[in-house]
Amino acid sequence: MLNSWKLKEIVLMSLFAVVFGIVYLLFVHVGNIWAGFIGPIAYEWIFGIWFIVSIICMYIIRKPGAAVVSETIAAAIEVLLGNAVGPRLILSGLIQGLGAEAVFAATRYKRFDLWVLMLAGVGSSVFSFVYGYFLGGFAVYSPGYVALMLGIRILSGAMIAGLGGKALSDGLLATGSLRGYAISRSKKGEVRA
Amino acid sequence: MKHALHKMNPSVKFLLITICMFTMAFFFDPWTPFVFWIGILVLQLLFSRIDWKKWLLFMLPFFVTAFGYFWTTLVFAEDQSGPVIWSIWNVHVTETQLNHALSLSFRVLAFSSLSLLFALTTNPTTFIMSLMQQLKLSPKIAYGVMVGYQFLPVLKDEFMHIGQAQRLRGITQEKNAFQRLLGTRRVLIPMLAGAVRKAERAAFSMEARGFTGERRSSYFQVIKVGKIDTALAVVFLLVLVLSCTNRLWLDF
Repeated sequence: MLNSWKLKEIVLMSLFAVVFGIVYLLFVHVGNIWAGFIGPIAYEWIFGIWFIVSIICMYIIRKPGAAVVSETIAAAIEVLLGNAVGPRLILSGLIQGLGAEAVFAATRYKRFDLWVLMLAGVGSSVFSFVYGYFLGGFAVYSPGYVALMLGIRILSGAMIAGLGGKALSDGLLATGSLRGYAISRSKKGEVRA
Repeated sequence: MKHALHKMNPSVKFLLITICMFTMAFFFDPWTPFVFWIGILVLQLLFSRIDWKKWLLFMLPFFVTAFGYFWTTLVFAEDQSGPVIWSIWNVHVTETQLNHALSLSFRVLAFSSLSLLFALTTNPTTFIMSLMQQLKLSPKIAYGVMVGYQFLPVLKDEFMHIGQAQRLRGITQEKNAFQRLLGTRRVLIPMLAGAVRKAERAAFSMEARGFTGERRSSYFQVIKVGKIDTALAVVFLLVLVLSCTNRLWLDF
């Protein structure tokens, strides 16, 4: 899988992971403080922000694996930055990335419009929720409360990660720095190099 | 003794912590995560030299989170069987609810101490090198991550410069929290554009110096798995087993 990858694409993912790693950590702290007052549901509103890197990278690079690899790298960078959530972040990053990857794989990596990106956000939401359900012990909560959490997370994944990710990448495309990546090739309608 | 956790192979440590966490996820009584948490703290006390002031500072937000889990579970718990032991206004707290609430809170504390144990005793570079040498992570990704990690201070500076440049041109920060959130786009896009250019330059110079991304047979920094790892693995698993079987030896 990785043989078709150019080094510059991997380094790009890694640098994006650093930029968003800082953003992610900021939100972890915001979420932690909130969670003290309103419980684990505090994370659900902002959960979409943690999926954004996989959607941006897939939208730009458009190769199989871009979502899952970028999200895992972002999680690894978060761990390297030395935060207290620690190594389990790598696993949650991997699972979130797989959620988005599943959606892109279902379209055979051919469609990258807004709906697919939002669905990818939903995919990450569902995957990460199943993982969180197990590890966070959500089984003790009443089903209504769990459904509410899942609903908010799906909404957050679609809006923040899908819509927000697309808006950010389109803004980035307009700066002209993405020449040489799949995203600008498809815009011009050229054959894939 | 005091350096054991620092010298331990990061990949082994990572795998052990993962095993411990997944095992803990199956328990819903308060004692198992509590005993495990204490066990982790003892391990840390015996085998590492960490700054406990720093530890407390990092743990503080998790105490807050644990409290959040505690009261949410009390209010929204599914299983409400057992005798009522507490009543505040209209909320009646049963024994099962209290047990579940305590269990989830201790789980948060146990997981975060476990993570902190890793974070405070592991060198980031060694961790990536070990992932590549022991867990067969692709060198392309391993060195790619290292490049990103090295750029961290540069990107931090750039973040400040962009903010300063925008203020010079008269862009002020909004007071409204929501508008400020939308305003991050103005800083993020120049930062990402800079990141794209840096990535291209870094990748180009790596390739110019002969980096192919293929697996090597020898490394400059060799990371090994040794006796210390076996010993600590046994200790970790012992703590895990002891906390899972607390019913047998803990009598209340």
